[in-house]
Amino acid sequence: MNFEACFRLLADRLKHDVIVTSAGNCSEVWWEITRETERVFYLEASMSLASLFAAGIALGAPGRTVVAFSGDGAFCMNPGMLLVERQLALPNLKHFMVSNRCYGSTNDLPHPFGDFVDYSAMARAAGIERVYSFSTVEGLGQGLDDMIRVPGHAFAVLEVEPLGRHAPSPPLDGPEVKFRFGRYLERTGGRPVFDAPLDPT
Amino acid sequence: MPGMDEPVDKVAQRIADVAADCGITLVASLPDGWITRLITQFDRDARFRHVAVNREESAIGLCSGAFFGGIGAFALMGASGFLTCIYAITKINYTYQIPLLIGVTLRGRPGDRAKFHQSNALYLEPVIRSIDMPFVAIERGDDIARLATAYRHSRVLSRPVVVGFTREVLRGEA
Repeated sequence: MNFEACFRLLADRLKHDVIVTSAGNCSEVWWEITRETERVFYLEASMSLASLFAAGIALGAPGRTVVAFSGDGAFCMNPGMLLVERQLALPNLKHFMVSNRCYGSTNDLPHPFGDFVDYSAMARAAGIERVYSFSTVEGLGQGLDDMIRVPGHAFAVLEVEPLGRHAPSPPLDGPEVKFRFGRYLERTGGRPVFDAPLDPT
Repeated sequence: MPGMDEPVDKVAQRIADVAADCGITLVASLPDGWITRLITQFDRDARFRHVAVNREESAIGLCSGAFFGGIGAFALMGASGFLTCIYAITKINYTYQIPLLIGVTLRGRPGDRAKFHQSNALYLEPVIRSIDMPFVAIERGDDIARLATAYRHSRVLSRPVVVGFTREVLRGEA
């Protein structure tokens, strides 16, 4: 499926969920399409930790759906993330693994593992019960609500074509992302985030 | 907790009490031989959600996200595991200025009998210094309360703080 068409559909349908994007194309394309700066944490440099970062958010926000995006490059660095996700079994954590079979953030250098690895089977083998695989925009459109709206941890593989071009990174420094995102969560009913009292005594 | 009368149990209980009192409710850990009793304590203690992670970096990711969930978190690991986390710490916690309390074993100190830990441990404290991470040594029982100070300092500083436990303190011998 076309990368941008896939993300356009996701951006159109996931309008009220908390989003965590991983480094590279996921952050770049989400930013390009949405220009969102509040409910999205652009985790631009984490190399495999986006879904567990999202899990930490989801732990403290059981009433929200938290959607994480990982790339296949990141996934292969730390597939054990699935074991931790399975252990946590957070009903509000939804994890998309974007398989574009290349390192999109580094000039689309080929990522060889996707040609012979069945990521969905890996997820099932890790004990994850709700595993999806989408290779067309139509299929994604049909299956998305089941994955996102039915409570229960879910993992999905998005089979996409390489983006094939450079996209700009979100023009936000780390602390700006932190405060915009944290204040958004606080403002919309989340637990206090920035709570350290600077007691002069 | 019944059956907790060994010094190592009392130390684990004290550490858990200090952690709970300062607001920590999530502990993510990977074992080191020195902290198995402490991990067991966190796992059994209803005041905490203990998550056994697959690798130490995963503890950094999970606990950093938990900050935004409004959850006080503690990433607990051995010295060697900590050394694998430098990238995750600098890229996540330094880039975004996310506080995090990390607990490590102070491997390599005199008294550590594990030869295979020495080569890593030689560089543990120099590596911590090289990334300007505040470090609090917990070397005696009276130091355990400093865990709370370290946790609060991380919040004030908006960066990670690492606390290091000696073998002696974890065994209740110091």
